[in-house]
Amino acid sequence: MIPKQASPILQLDDVWKIYKMGQVQVPALRGVSISIDTGDFVAIIGASGSGKSTMMNLIGCLDLPTKGKVLLKGNDIAQLSESDLATFRGQTIGFIFQQYNLIQSMTALQNVLLPLEFLEIPDRKAHERALEILDLVGLADKIYHLPSQLSGGQQQRVSIARCLAADPEIILADEPTGALDSETGKQILTMMQRLWKEQGKTVIMVTHDLHWAEFARTRITLKDGLVLHHK
Amino acid sequence: MKLIKCVRHAFDMVVHSKLRSWLTILGIVIGVAAVIAIGSLGSGLQSNINQQLSSLGGDLLTITAGHSRGGNIFTMRGPGREGGGFDASSTQSADAPALTRTDVQALRGMPDIMTIDTQIRGSVKVTYQDKTGTISLTGVDQRFWSQITTETLLEGRMLGPADQNVVVIGSRLASSYFTHPVGINQMITIGNSAFRVVGILDDQSTSIYMPLQMAYQVIDDKTNGVYDTIIVRIRDQDLLDETIAKIDNKMMLARHVTDKTKDFTITSRAQAQETRAATMQTMNMFLMAIAAVSLIVGSVGIANTMFTSVMEKTKEIGIMKAIGARNKDIMLIFLLNAGLIGLVGGLLGIFFGTILSGMLPALMGNVGFFRSGATVSLHAMLVALAVSIGVGVLAGIIPAYQASRLKPVDALRFE
Repeated sequence: MIPKQASPILQLDDVWKIYKMGQVQVPALRGVSISIDTGDFVAIIGASGSGKSTMMNLIGCLDLPTKGKVLLKGNDIAQLSESDLATFRGQTIGFIFQQYNLIQSMTALQNVLLPLEFLEIPDRKAHERALEILDLVGLADKIYHLPSQLSGGQQQRVSIARCLAADPEIILADEPTGALDSETGKQILTMMQRLWKEQGKTVIMVTHDLHWAEFARTRITLKDGLVLHHK
Repeated sequence: MKLIKCVRHAFDMVVHSKLRSWLTILGIVIGVAAVIAIGSLGSGLQSNINQQLSSLGGDLLTITAGHSRGGNIFTMRGPGREGGGFDASSTQSADAPALTRTDVQALRGMPDIMTIDTQIRGSVKVTYQDKTGTISLTGVDQRFWSQITTETLLEGRMLGPADQNVVVIGSRLASSYFTHPVGINQMITIGNSAFRVVGILDDQSTSIYMPLQMAYQVIDDKTNGVYDTIIVRIRDQDLLDETIAKIDNKMMLARHVTDKTKDFTITSRAQAQETRAATMQTMNMFLMAIAAVSLIVGSVGIANTMFTSVMEKTKEIGIMKAIGARNKDIMLIFLLNAGLIGLVGGLLGIFFGTILSGMLPALMGNVGFFRSGATVSLHAMLVALAVSIGVGVLAGIIPAYQASRLKPVDALRFE
């Protein structure tokens, strides 16, 4: 069941994430509490080991906190069944990864269709939607190309198209420009900014680069598993 | 995810790992082909035996002098060979009281018996044109032989009641034994007498059949009125065992013997064939079990491939889960992948198994039982297909479950 929308869209309430490395316990997040409003563009900034990837996994419902609550649209993600969480994730969050994470054996079109197949959208409607999105990201002429036949920037645009296919409310980007040159990176960021401004998406971007963080409206800085700044 | 989409993704997985998939499929193909070939050969032999049982003398009993205390001795004979499945000379000892007219008289009064044929057998010298050879000859009661024999004619006619110096011969004797082929109405010399060939049997044998009275003259050491074999056709094949018991009693009374001093043997072709069928079935089951082992090895191959596949696709599983795949979607895709390998293996196995079973008679040297060939039934094909898919799915359960339980965060991190 998809819960009703609440504002703020995402809340982390005293969230701890502790990894066990043999006998040693390593805390990646130490009692983090943040709130992200619907329609905001947030950059989560931090150096390597600051806990930003852990935070992204929790925000993206890919992992559960050791302690504390992650509330997505007012729902505690730890209380949802795995199946409901998967569907909820598929409908609410679109992922953009640093390494694009496209399925190599599938064409651009098939990659974009995949989330729609999981949501059991009728074929014709899904097809129309995928073509529309691929056109939006400027890849209408490359729909039958395999990822290996596309440049890094083009692959990231397929990844954005896949993320938008199910029309999610939140776009979660993990170092989206990390594998791109600065010019292509700028194009991708501009595209994300347009999604935020023109389509009203909530965009959450994890980055270690302050330059790219300038594109966001809100910046949350993490250090050693704690929130350093939130502005 | 809809089932049809899962099937497509499973199919893509098979296609995209061609070599590994095909090697796995090969394992199943070998197993299924072996099961199909052996199974069909078995059922072919079985149906052949059943056919013999119903059409070729299942209602015939052979009575011979002498008795083996160890139980009945069955000598297997293929179709189209006269003699009722028992070779008299092998068990009849020199001093065993022979079968005589008295025995035939005793049997004649029995309502369970339709026809009685008396026979003697021996080796004779046969000459045709310039070539002479020693051949087994059977003297038969020509009034009844044509009603009782399981032989069929290639040419000419059977022996008739008024026949004297005539013979019916086997087709090999007619076609290739002598320097020149022997045709209908041609004369051959047996002993010192000339006989006209009136019929050629469709049996690939070198046998010779002639009227009983003439046989007494040409075979040495045979006394008129003494028989090697009495063959009877019974009225009701369904009452085989009861009829045998009745004949047994009647013969014991006529010959003044008891169970302990019994001096004759009754053998039934049906019983002999049933024993043969049972032996064949046991042998078939044994061979099937060996073939099934190769199918099990094939299924281990599927499991191995699936585990490798899950490992290889860990990252993809993570991606799929991140974009909305549920555990059951992943489970279904991997299970269908394993099932597809089983299905393709099964189909190819049936194909090659059918070809192999067609070739088996030739591979076995076209001899004995294997000459009958093999038949692959639709039922066997469907069972083989169901088993191969089942084996695939079964082998895929654990890897598929493992794949479905992968945590997205761990799977995404996998390189």
